[in-house]
Amino acid sequence: MTTDTAPSLALPQAGARRPLGRARSGGALMVLPALIFLVVFFIVPVAILFSYSVLTQPQNGVIGLPLTLSHYGHLLDTPLYLHVLAITLRISLWTAGLSVLLGYPVALTIVRGTPLVGRIVTIILVAPLVVSIVVRTYGWQLVLANNHSGVANWVLSFLGFGPAVLRVMYTETAVVVGSLHVFLPMMVLPLASSLARINPSLEEAARTLGAPAWRVFARVTFPLSIPGLIAGLTIVFSLTAASYVTPAILGGNYAQMLGNLLEQQVVSVYDWPLSSAIAVVMVVLTFVVNGLSVFLLERRLKTRRRLSEAR
Amino acid sequence: MEIKSADLALSGLTKTYGHSLAVDNVTVRIGTGEMVALLGPSGCGKTTTLRMIAGLIEPSGGDILIGGRSIVNVPVHKRNIGMLFQSYALFPHLSVGQNVAFGLEMRGVRKAEAARRVTDALTLVQLDHLAERLPTALSGGQQQRVALARALVIEPSVMLLDEPLGALDKSLRESMQVELRQLQQRLGITTVIVTHDQEEALTLADRIVIMRAGKLEQIGTPQEIYSRPVSRFVAGFIGASNFLRGHVAGSDGGTTLVALQGGARVTVPTQAGASGEVMVALRPEAIQVQPFAGQNDAAPNTTQATIEQIIYRGSLTHLYLRLDDGAPLLAFHQNRAGERAPAELSPGGRVVARWTEENNHLVADR
Ligand SMILES: Nc1ncnc2c1ncn2[C@@H]1O[C@H](COP(=O)(O)OP(=O)(O)OP(=O)(O)O)[C@@H](O)[C@H]1O
Ligand SMILES: [Mg+2]
Repeated sequence: MTTDTAPSLALPQAGARRPLGRARSGGALMVLPALIFLVVFFIVPVAILFSYSVLTQPQNGVIGLPLTLSHYGHLLDTPLYLHVLAITLRISLWTAGLSVLLGYPVALTIVRGTPLVGRIVTIILVAPLVVSIVVRTYGWQLVLANNHSGVANWVLSFLGFGPAVLRVMYTETAVVVGSLHVFLPMMVLPLASSLARINPSLEEAARTLGAPAWRVFARVTFPLSIPGLIAGLTIVFSLTAASYVTPAILGGNYAQMLGNLLEQQVVSVYDWPLSSAIAVVMVVLTFVVNGLSVFLLERRLKTRRRLSEAR
Repeated sequence: MEIKSADLALSGLTKTYGHSLAVDNVTVRIGTGEMVALLGPSGCGKTTTLRMIAGLIEPSGGDILIGGRSIVNVPVHKRNIGMLFQSYALFPHLSVGQNVAFGLEMRGVRKAEAARRVTDALTLVQLDHLAERLPTALSGGQQQRVALARALVIEPSVMLLDEPLGALDKSLRESMQVELRQLQQRLGITTVIVTHDQEEALTLADRIVIMRAGKLEQIGTPQEIYSRPVSRFVAGFIGASNFLRGHVAGSDGGTTLVALQGGARVTVPTQAGASGEVMVALRPEAIQVQPFAGQNDAAPNTTQATIEQIIYRGSLTHLYLRLDDGAPLLAFHQNRAGERAPAELSPGGRVVARWTEENNHLVADR
């Protein structure tokens, strides 16, 4: 089949089939450099960031004691900030949700199509990744521009819908469109690798048992692709929630996200503790939403497993 | 469980891939409740034929009829066919009970009735106590029994099995064969099983269809195929066989005399159209081997030979003989309990091989 052409984002199950003991300690040594890198350049900065968010910054700008939760309070008290938080959630959820709807047909085409079709679709999907996200987003600005010079408006007026009917630039819709374009591959690749691992005879068995195509998908293909779906959702949601360039260019002042707010606080206001609090909120938000989606999707499988182990 | 089975007819069924013919004009009628084995070497088109019946592959030509009605334009999910896969194909995210219930769910059978029928089907394969398990927690034999229950519970018009026991070890395979056959006969369900294991075909099938390079080579009961193979291919595929080349030297009434290349003569029950160069198939177990006693025997169906090798195989001893013209001859000696091998025979020894006319059978040399 087309398994070998399907791009694989999924991590191999670590050491699943390896003998224990020596191989395992060898494995620990192998991850040491990456571990050190992570500690120095990720864990430590995150710790500093977190500490800033509970420290005080007086007039002279030197951050220090006393400890305070006032920055979080400020964040939750200010309607503007809550508004930005809501926009961030909305845009990320829409982007993640739509990427699932668009992602399944694309992933299925890559996995089930002929090898040639699969390869072409993969290339079309992945090729934009080599273009800078800034360039691509300006591209979308040209397409979505609200006046008659926008490509979309030009096409619509050419088709007789009237001049400049489309007014999506500087809205959440524009940000969702831009984010979808940027992050769709992150949904499709793990989905495709999950789908490629489904034994085709499972779907054939379902068909012979009387399931029309859509029920085969609903009862067999979809449930068995949930691992890839979870991976894709997590990646797309997290990356969208953390985006900065896309909302800055396509959202303007009307669809700001937390990333833009953060940038303002650091660059213009120079309020490090509040910025740190925003960053912490972004991280927590990402974890909570991802955790929730994983929980909901896996719950069904888990109950099944418990049932069978109880016997 | 009551199954209303139907007869199955393939008529000129053909499948081409590019320029190659995977299945070439196959025509066969399978009666209601009959079990037929598709047997043949790898790549001869067995799986392709079966998958066309199931609807998983679209035929390039010909027709498929179930109960007299053409089904080639009926989509897979409406064909009401039970299929067993070599890989079992159980849904790993559903319990055994849910797997079996799948087909009923698709048919909109009410919950209570479905539950009863699932239990019945699982009882039939003696697995009703495992309904809550996940398939991954079952042995291979148990998994295939679940797959069987899942296929039977929808009361299919026809059952299709593609090497269903291929992944099991020998002893389990044999006991599953018996179980499968009993179930199939009890339910009276029209069944096609694909196999490349001749023993399996002989054990299971009412009739065997031998396929070769996409074509139908011979159809018949196991006895017919074994005792009256039409070609050298069939005779060699089912059981072992000797092939003796010769030419027709005369004929009287019911008997044709064939002179072999090495000088010996054999008599063959007359078959239509036999003349010129012919090939005689002779089963090894039909040959009696005795030490050469000194006097030349000029009777037909007798020849002198030298023993090359003696191989003890449990219930049989295989005697590899060499005729004086260099042609090989294989004979099986039936061992009696506790007997090791015919004591009076030893490698290098001269022997006389004898058999009777009804064991000779002319086959096409292909
Ligand atoms: N999708 C395909 N494209 C091209 N040729 C194919 C395809 N599927 C099968 N074939 C060819 O058709 C022929 C019959 O294949 P089939 O799978 O029916 O064989 P089989 O009798 O089931 O063999 P086996 O005992 O090995 O399973 C083979 O020569 C195979 O190479
Ligand atoms: Mg096959």
